Amino acid sequence: MEKVLSKIAEVTSDPYGYVAGLKERKNKKIIGCFPMHVPEEIVHAAGLIPVVIWRGNEPVTWGHAHVPPYDCGITRSFVDDAVRGKLSFMDGFVFHIRQCLQAGEFPFIMERHFKPAYQKILYLPAIYPGDATRDFALKELESFKTSLEDFTGNMISDDSLKKSIEIYNKNRSLMERVYEIRRAKPEILKAKEVMQIVWSGMLMPKEDHNELLAELISGMEEKSITPQKERIKVILVGCLCQTLQFDILDLIEDLGMIVPDDDLYIGSRYFANPVNLNGNPMKALADRYLTKSPLCPTKGVWDIHWGDEAIKRMRDNDAKGIISVRVKYCPPHTCYYPDFRSKMAEEGVTEVMIEMEHEIISLEGVKTRLQSFAETIGGV
Amino acid sequence: MAVVAGVDVGSLCTKTVILDGNGKILSYDIMRSGHYYKGAAEESIENALKSAGLKKGDISYTLGTGYGRGAVAEADAEVTEITCHARGAARLFPEVHTVIDIGGQDSKVIGIGDNGRVTNFVMNDKCAAGTGRFLEVMALALSVDIGEMGDLFFASKEKVDVSSMCTVFAESEVISLFARGHKKADIAAGIAHAIARRIMGMVGQVGLREKVVMSGGVAKNAGVVRAIEERIETSLLVPHEPQIVGAFGAAIIASERMSATIG
Ligand code: SF4
Repeated sequence: MEKVLSKIAEVTSDPYGYVAGLKERKNKKIIGCFPMHVPEEIVHAAGLIPVVIWRGNEPVTWGHAHVPPYDCGITRSFVDDAVRGKLSFMDGFVFHIRQCLQAGEFPFIMERHFKPAYQKILYLPAIYPGDATRDFALKELESFKTSLEDFTGNMISDDSLKKSIEIYNKNRSLMERVYEIRRAKPEILKAKEVMQIVWSGMLMPKEDHNELLAELISGMEEKSITPQKERIKVILVGCLCQTLQFDILDLIEDLGMIVPDDDLYIGSRYFANPVNLNGNPMKALADRYLTKSPLCPTKGVWDIHWGDEAIKRMRDNDAKGIISVRVKYCPPHTCYYPDFRSKMAEEGVTEVMIEMEHEIISLEGVKTRLQSFAETIGGV
Repeated sequence: MAVVAGVDVGSLCTKTVILDGNGKILSYDIMRSGHYYKGAAEESIENALKSAGLKKGDISYTLGTGYGRGAVAEADAEVTEITCHARGAARLFPEVHTVIDIGGQDSKVIGIGDNGRVTNFVMNDKCAAGTGRFLEVMALALSVDIGEMGDLFFASKEKVDVSSMCTVFAESEVISLFARGHKKADIAAGIAHAIARRIMGMVGQVGLREKVVMSGGVAKNAGVVRAIEERIETSLLVPHEPQIVGAFGAAIIASERMSATIG
């Protein structure tokens, strides 16, 4: 287990070096997929390596000339990395521009300044009931597939797509198993380690990640844990698109809380909902995108409530409260949040919101919020 | 009977409250925190001990709170100022359901349940807007003593809007209001209303439930208190010494912990 965790920590501590090395080792082109809705399986089936774009850990410098300071962290960090030539190992990019205002800016910035060898703009629809939405999503994905075929010069067969989906589904079920064990024995992994495990899967070829996960799971199954009853269980919710600062995760644990489950994008959201392998694989991928749960505020779903889902997750895990992490300048999350908060108040659920910024974070302020939250749910 | 202490190390002031075994305040101290919180905590405890006629060894349990709660070397434990202000306010005014606390560098609005415990809270600690530090800078810009700011509010005759809440921008706004011929009292009232607008937004997030207590050093400014009352259309309960509510709450929790230990 320790060996796997240290390999995973190695990958996530230098994603640039890892992905550049991967390109050389596998002699394949790398396609950066902007989080959160690009179906990586199609890129994989095209014989390319899909990698989910990440937020770097350095302050934004030259990138300021291309993106406004009121864009979210991953947007600014990604453009900054591109300007500074840190992403030269990437051969192309896919953006889903309807996701949020920020995501809509990329294709133009990238096209104008960096001219990647391949670039695709996806325009996946907001989810309204009815066939029109499904047809729209399917057409978009078909055009994505065609653009990759044009780029590589090779057709993507249904069989190869199904094979890729199988590998991705396998990854989802392995990740689900990791979470299942974590729910039963939350002390087994630190919250930071869990995030690193999910994140490494966004960087590594899924085949390699699957091997690591299998080894990790057997270690987790064997390991006996003494439950720390005094620790208060809490659920993490939100934090779209990017990694949460690890310091915050450590702080949560240092303050006597423990996280048995989450609904973060770099968390359970990423591997939720396997793709249905019966029938047309493209339709199945469209259907996965159109799945409403776990609710994502970028999809425009109004008939189920994010708050209800979070509360259910909290109760299922016997947790005492919810920590919402909101990325600063993330419009979809910001717009949904007042409604989320009202739901918490209606249901009498104790919740605290931590706002996370790319560069500046006052850990003292975060500590006071988290400690007060822990005191409230702990009955001080 | 166990004597306990609550020490609230704030960014601007450090406060200590000493309680006797029956929960009665034996003494308290308020002093500037300066730049060395550990030293400020020690000195404040010493001052409070002296006024109570006690010595260090007489304290059975010390609880640290506030921004510098980690710096209280004597502390047996630390609890956040949010929990402590809630506990202190609930002891002073058992019918309280909302606490507005404006301290030296941050402001908080705390929701309190019927059991006197925190239900929810919001905190503004991103900048000094509307805090004690903000008022100090504004008093300097107005060339008045900080203590006079509250009285000036009531002498105001004309409505003046201070739109900026950023300490730096508000300072230049005050100067330009002078340049336009506005009176000190009107500008001071404008500043109080600007603080009140900001607090109103925070109260909206937590949900206004009466009774409302105001704690923290800014509660000593009657102008700000009145401006907030006008905004939220509710009268505020202000303790006799609003600055020590956090330290008082800390001492109450210290007392509870002592009784739990003694059994
Ligand atoms: S974090 Fe929010 S604003 Fe930023 S790219 Fe993701 S959805 Fe858009």
